[in-house]
Amino acid sequence: MSSLPATGADTLEETGTDELLELGSPWVTIVWNDPVNLMSYVTYVFQTYFGFPRREAERLMMLVHTEGRAVVATGTREEMERHVEAMHDYGLWATLTKADA
Amino acid sequence: MTPFRKHRDGTVSARFPEDEAELLTSLAEQSIDLARAAADPDADGFDPALDRLLPDAYPDDPQASAEFRRFTAAGLAERKEASARTMIESLSRREDGTAVAVLDAAQVTAWLRTITDVRLVLAARLGIHEDGDEGDIHDEDTALQRAVYDWLAGVQELLVMTVQPRR
Repeated sequence: MSSLPATGADTLEETGTDELLELGSPWVTIVWNDPVNLMSYVTYVFQTYFGFPRREAERLMMLVHTEGRAVVATGTREEMERHVEAMHDYGLWATLTKADA
Repeated sequence: MTPFRKHRDGTVSARFPEDEAELLTSLAEQSIDLARAAADPDADGFDPALDRLLPDAYPDDPQASAEFRRFTAAGLAERKEASARTMIESLSRREDGTAVAVLDAAQVTAWLRTITDVRLVLAARLGIHEDGDEGDIHDEDTALQRAVYDWLAGVQELLVMTVQPRR
């Protein structure tokens, strides 16, 4: 029975992981709780901007409200920067960070 | 004001007595100046109210936040200004001495955003930082600001309830 050299497999795996980190979805958009924005408005923004169904938009809004923050999107850094800018258009307090941070 | 009503053509409308229309117009005008100030890279000092209009995008990375700001602040400020101007325009129509605001979808968005910006600034000025904060209300001016802040919340709530998708 033959097997691939261990080093070869490791290299393949590492390359795969690196590419995932480069091209995959390692960034997240976070919306933070604030005392100003109305629960109805935050839900409305999640529905109309992200296209979440009302139930999901309300779930995320409640997460923001009770936990202080919620991840509302995952993707590339550029995509997350676009979402953060859009949230700032709406007056929501949003930031982006690496998903594993 | 009257509650917002939804019409068959998709627009929503409400009536505002003259004094309320003037107040909304004046607040929207102030919001234009604040948006410009928030995006001004040469502005002196740190103003928490302006900082809340254009918050840091990277909470743990000042350099990346500064870079993000450099690329986005001017556009954000321009769009905030355009929203405020849209709101002012849509408050200019009068019927029998009351302002009649008829809003299409884009105008609704402009109203929601401008009201939010004004409330963010009022909250920062009043020291409302956490859920439940009353704010530092110590004279007539601050009491009036708090009343305006709460009244705007009511206007926004009525508008959101009218346009919110049911599903």
